[in-house]
Amino acid sequence: MTETVRLTDPLEPARQGVTTAPFLRAPEAARTIFLVTLAAACAPLIAGMVLFGWYAAAVAALCVGSCVVIERIYYRVTHTPALLGRTHAYLTGVLLALTMPPFVPWYIPVVAAAFAIIIGKAVFGGVGHFIWQPALVGRVAVAVIFLTPLTPAYWPILARDKLLDGDIRSAQQVDPFDRWSGRAALPDSDAFSVRPPADILAGLTSTDEVQYSGLVQIPRELMLAGLKTPPEQHVPRLRGAVMSKLPPLNEMLLGVRGGGIGETCAVVILVAGLYLVYRGYVKWQLPMAIIASAAVVVAVAPIRLAGPDGQTLWKWLPLGIEGADAGFTYVIYQLLSGELLLAAMFLATEMTSRPVTTGGQVLFGIGCGAAAMLLRLYVDLPVPCYTAILIMNTFTPKIDRLWRPRTLGQPRWRPFRRKAKPLAA
Amino acid sequence: MRFGTFTGGIDLPHEKYATEDSPIAPWPHLERLQVPLAPCGRGAAECIIESGQRVAAGQRIARALDNTSLDIFSPAAALVTGITTVDVCMGDRFVPSPAIELVDLAEPPMNADSPANNSWRTSSPEALRRRLAEGGLTTCRNPLEPLHLFIDRAKMYRCRTVVANLMENQPYLTGDHRLMVERGHEVLAGLAIIARAIEAGQTILAADRRYIDDYGELARAEAALGVTCIALPHKYPIGADAILVKVLTRREAPHGSSLMATGAAVVGAWACVAAYRWVACGACPTHRVVTVSGELSATHGNFLLPVGTRCGDLGNFVRHAPLHGGPMNGCLCPARAVVTWATEAVLAIHPAEAQPASPCIRCGWCTDHCPARLNVSALNDAYELGLLDQARRAHVTACVECGVCSFICPARLPLTERVRQLKRAIHPGPAVAAVVGD
Repeated sequence: MTETVRLTDPLEPARQGVTTAPFLRAPEAARTIFLVTLAAACAPLIAGMVLFGWYAAAVAALCVGSCVVIERIYYRVTHTPALLGRTHAYLTGVLLALTMPPFVPWYIPVVAAAFAIIIGKAVFGGVGHFIWQPALVGRVAVAVIFLTPLTPAYWPILARDKLLDGDIRSAQQVDPFDRWSGRAALPDSDAFSVRPPADILAGLTSTDEVQYSGLVQIPRELMLAGLKTPPEQHVPRLRGAVMSKLPPLNEMLLGVRGGGIGETCAVVILVAGLYLVYRGYVKWQLPMAIIASAAVVVAVAPIRLAGPDGQTLWKWLPLGIEGADAGFTYVIYQLLSGELLLAAMFLATEMTSRPVTTGGQVLFGIGCGAAAMLLRLYVDLPVPCYTAILIMNTFTPKIDRLWRPRTLGQPRWRPFRRKAKPLAA
Repeated sequence: MRFGTFTGGIDLPHEKYATEDSPIAPWPHLERLQVPLAPCGRGAAECIIESGQRVAAGQRIARALDNTSLDIFSPAAALVTGITTVDVCMGDRFVPSPAIELVDLAEPPMNADSPANNSWRTSSPEALRRRLAEGGLTTCRNPLEPLHLFIDRAKMYRCRTVVANLMENQPYLTGDHRLMVERGHEVLAGLAIIARAIEAGQTILAADRRYIDDYGELARAEAALGVTCIALPHKYPIGADAILVKVLTRREAPHGSSLMATGAAVVGAWACVAAYRWVACGACPTHRVVTVSGELSATHGNFLLPVGTRCGDLGNFVRHAPLHGGPMNGCLCPARAVVTWATEAVLAIHPAEAQPASPCIRCGWCTDHCPARLNVSALNDAYELGLLDQARRAHVTACVECGVCSFICPARLPLTERVRQLKRAIHPGPAVAAVVGD
């Protein structure tokens, strides 16, 4: 069935480039795309360096440096030509640094870079040919290999007076941690060790940590009867729980929370991502689809609530359980915590591993957002959003084949299941 | 009246400032002409003159042998020196053609307007068709086609709409615009003649919205001739015939069939002028308005060039071969290339930087900007892997060869050339979908 022909190669010297139409070229080259994306990705990186101190800068430098060195060694050893490789290696390193926790020992970035460059990119043939976003390959690989050091229960954040020059590794555990602003560093330490918001939100729904569970549903029959909850069973409502266990919303936007180097500062991520949208390197539909589908899934998917007497019950539609205000707060915290924003703006939009057409990108984004939130809510994975993007990257060729716009001259409607007539008529 | 638009496309740089205000002028001094006997690439006419003979301007120097060849007239009073071979543009390539070499040219008579005879308004379509077939007229679109064959084909497809394509939305091209400014009534009358010969009910002149103010005084003439003048935005490639017909009529030709299957026939502006001058004034079609421009060119302007002018004589092209046609879909002139009725422009521009092509990074810009909505990156994969069947299923034959994908490609891949090769491999033979004109 498949017909293979030998076509004359226009890349042969006689017909290369200048001898065939068009004789005008748009100025933007692939290198420009990588450089601009690199510059945009440096914005959350710098924010992360400010928030997590000099050690985060060292981790980032290690990521970038080992990516570049490993790529060069690989191409030197295998004698394959580096196709646009240099710039893309820097970009991969920066993206990897964005996803890396700030406190990791030195060997983890090196291993992640090796996975990113060799497994993620080089074995597929380099730039333009890989299936999975290379930085995510490296990140997920180290998340699996070094599970314990990379997924601690308590993540460090620098105190306000130790920003930029504090040492992230000297942290003291603070629990519960209500707010960051106005709290000076504890003696003999530069940082607080706190539970990251994503874990707290997950804790809200897990049965074995009932002490966290603010999501206690007031029994329906009591409410119907107009009775008050007995004082010993009185528990804060959803919003109260969220607000008391989690940092305030402005600190979430600024990024003062546990997380990877570039994952936390939502404002900078959004601004840098919008710059990429403005340059046309990212279609707005893709991050929008990811965030919107994640929001819908979080608002609808059932969460496990602790009942008044210790039993657990599943409740659909968290948006509406305790009123829209508490529900929206819950949804917004779910979106801002974890790595979703960085994934939506920088990692899912990697050109090679996303679908090409706009419709395909929307499908891809819906899949990414929904899978990320489902994995976070129901599967105990270290980096659910990154895993979700890798899963959807796998389906990218299929989505590209399925989603095709109507070409010029193609009938709008075709009778179902009729075979296409051969064109050579 | 509102018109549809098309998805994709691109705004090219305007780049017409050098020539858009320069009036049509004759080329100062030509020393020799090589008038091609087969300007349409096939069916050479039979030479009916001797070497060493002097011919007068407008004298018939070659006779059509069959339906596919054309009568050829001498553009100027000259001395015949013999038969030679030249290259004429045919779509995206040049094909050799025999030619009559003329030297010792007299000054060409410029704009010698003989009194117009408006009897064509009352003559029957058959008589008009016979008259047009005698004149050696062509469609003046690339690829070139004899006008009588074009009219026969339009009759066969029962075309009800005739469109004069004056969009000309590639950089540098201004010939049609100047023609419309200076000889607008001839364009309109010629369009009406062709429409009458095809017996079409609807006659449309599509022009660029930016220039429509310059054509204002023609409104009355349009109404009298039954021509609707429509201004369209200039997003490239609205001048591609298939896209123009889609925008104007919302009809699209099915894959692999001729554009006339939509019931619309598209002609160029110079074909209208030539038809008018032949039918009403009896002037032979021997010239063509050609834009000579480009940043490397010493002369800029719109010139009335005799057919058979060597492209190399139009400037000092030492470093680069001149470009035949627009910069988006033209091709480099070989040494023997001559001006034919398909020549819109002869440009001397900096060649696009010969950066080495890198692998496709799947940015998707080619797909976003493709006016035919093709997934060009998938077609590129099909090309690299040699999968014709996959390309056929991706509707590669819908391509209009506008060049937008190569223009936009950040990896500098020759996508247009690759897609064209896939098309040719699936559809050998002459181009089926009419290629982009302006």
